Amino acid sequence: MSDRNISWVFDLPDRASNATRVFKNSIFLFVCLVASGLAVLILVSLLTAILFVGTPALSWDFLRNVHVENRPELSGISQALVGSVAICLICGLVALPIGIGTAIYLEEFQPHRRWMRIFQNIVQININNLSGIPSIVYGILGVSVFVYMFGLFQPIRVNQLPDVEVGAEYFYQARTVSDRRKGIEGQLFSFPAGDPRQAILEIDQPMEVIGRDGRKFQLNMLAADASLPEDRELLSRTVRQGTAASRFSKRAPTYFHLPLGKSLLAAGLTLALVVLPIIIIASQEAIRAVPQSLRDASMGLGATRWQTVAQVVFPQALPRIMTGAILSMSRAIGEAAPVIAVMGGVLGTTRGLSNLMEPTPVLPVTIYKWSSHQNVEYEQLAAAAIIVLLVILLIVNSVAIAIRYRLSQNQIGA
Amino acid sequence: MAENSSKPTASGIEWAIQRPLRVRSSRTAQNRQALVVVLLIGCALISLLTTLGTIVMLTYESANFFLSEKIEFGRFFSDTRWTIGQTQGEIHYGIWPLISGTFRIAIIALLFALPTGILAAIYLSEYAPRQVRSILKPVLEILAGIPTVVLGFFAVTFITPYVLGPIGDFKPFNAASAGLAVGILCLPLITSLVEDALQSVPSSLREAAYGLGSTKFETTVKVVVPAAISGIVSASLLALARAVGETMVVALAAGSTATFTLDPRQPSQTMTGFIVETLNSESVVPGTLSYYSIYAVALVLFLITLACTLVGEFVRKRYREVYT
Repeated sequence: MSDRNISWVFDLPDRASNATRVFKNSIFLFVCLVASGLAVLILVSLLTAILFVGTPALSWDFLRNVHVENRPELSGISQALVGSVAICLICGLVALPIGIGTAIYLEEFQPHRRWMRIFQNIVQININNLSGIPSIVYGILGVSVFVYMFGLFQPIRVNQLPDVEVGAEYFYQARTVSDRRKGIEGQLFSFPAGDPRQAILEIDQPMEVIGRDGRKFQLNMLAADASLPEDRELLSRTVRQGTAASRFSKRAPTYFHLPLGKSLLAAGLTLALVVLPIIIIASQEAIRAVPQSLRDASMGLGATRWQTVAQVVFPQALPRIMTGAILSMSRAIGEAAPVIAVMGGVLGTTRGLSNLMEPTPVLPVTIYKWSSHQNVEYEQLAAAAIIVLLVILLIVNSVAIAIRYRLSQNQIGA
Repeated sequence: MAENSSKPTASGIEWAIQRPLRVRSSRTAQNRQALVVVLLIGCALISLLTTLGTIVMLTYESANFFLSEKIEFGRFFSDTRWTIGQTQGEIHYGIWPLISGTFRIAIIALLFALPTGILAAIYLSEYAPRQVRSILKPVLEILAGIPTVVLGFFAVTFITPYVLGPIGDFKPFNAASAGLAVGILCLPLITSLVEDALQSVPSSLREAAYGLGSTKFETTVKVVVPAAISGIVSASLLALARAVGETMVVALAAGSTATFTLDPRQPSQTMTGFIVETLNSESVVPGTLSYYSIYAVALVLFLITLACTLVGEFVRKRYREVYT
């Protein structure tokens, strides 16, 4: 019965025989399998290639060192790791409250009045569009808003003090006279600056200064043409009239200035803008997943809307919100474009983080700079840094899944 | 008895009021709520301000670019060379080379990612047994979570020498390698969106087709996919927006020369690549032409991605078949 052609009975169009159709079905399945297998193949080859290139460069020294120009074998990512952690913290501290707050407002406090509803619709549409904006545009926005601050303050220039500055102490430093014949080098001394606006100050009075070892001593002024004193002790305190002292500053870890300039803080704030739409959308979905019966029960007991949200809805939605928050932080760790826009491509060469106002390397930017470096040997280091980055992302995502699992055990309906 | 009398014993929400009930007056609670709502509205305003700030800033600074003496507005759209950023030679500021670079890479990316993604989504949705699904979905999620610098590195160190090298005479920085890497980036997005679209087609349509004697291939291609076509089109547009806006991959793999050609073997700087390249260099300060050109290029980029996203959302909502 299978191949009887009955198209002469009805006005049917020609159709292929069953064998052809089954054959086409198998071919199509094969093609789909190839396409899916391609995805797996791509991931496997990506990871293999990176592991292959990068593993030789991995070592504990790699994690402890900082970048050294022209010496790839001595370079490492320790400062980049510190920078990444710092920028992630800044980003999270800013974006999470704002994002979760916006999500709560959009989901829980739906208004009655018409113009407020229009406002909420606009905000919702806006958030859906924000996630489609390229991250480099956020970077440029960050440059205008956080780095240059619309020109409200004077831009940061070398040797010029910022308009608003907190946490910096200024000193002037100079050397005492040296006596070549006796082989005595002048010693470095410094004194606190009364008015730090001048870059160079001429010393013309005997003043109390602080020496290298921290001891205070009184300067001995010498006229420009007078001969050097013989006494060693006096010599070590002698300074010619009009010696120029240059200014330097000590910055506390809480150093802060306005405009923010090309700083880690500005980059962190820009990243917060980048992840904000993601957090809002994830939190909205988390809040939507809370059963309405809980809210109704709480309102039925006489709680206000806010009490319901704070004590019933939010704890119930917390695992999913935390998962969304951690996943968006993992996205922030890997973002390079906005950070490059704000701070430039920084390959730091000092250890650790002195304050938040310095341009600091972060891991993805370091990978970018090493990949495009003229010295080809840095490519291997870039691969090793990628491995570190992927491991960090793996850990962060696993933590997110574990937290969600753990917290949801205590949930209603679990 | 006494200690339990103040707590309602409704079993559903006992956990919610385990802590001792602090009885507040209604007025305090209302005031507190009003304050909180004001704060929350402030949070919501920040996202609005982001968009507004972006539009205002891009327009204002681009105006600075177009109004400066050396720039004529018309030539931005008519010139076919872009030499801003090069220190010697005359300045050409036609936007077309950058747009050509962007779209060359985006089209190569979509040529790779659309067929592969749609077929993979069809497989996931219609054919895949549960074990294969449980491998394939995490693979796609991992691909989606890989930072873009990693793919840029992969493109430069692996795709260009080993995949493209045997094929033809590709320059070290070329559009094809960057396009393939961007395609890899877009693949998970397309797959997940198309799979959602396919899943939302009710099974009654499939069952009707099987009942009429179709093979799985015929059902999928003639019934399910046409029913989900709005989702597929919107997925393509969203992927296009993503490909156009991609920055780090093209910064690493596509080179820094803006060319106006269809040849995928040439370096092709994109709009995003140009912006990153310029911001990366130390010599760009506010007030210079290079600085303002960033904003002009960013404005064009923003408008293109906004158009793609809006049209994608519109298609998704308007042409979605609602099966009740």
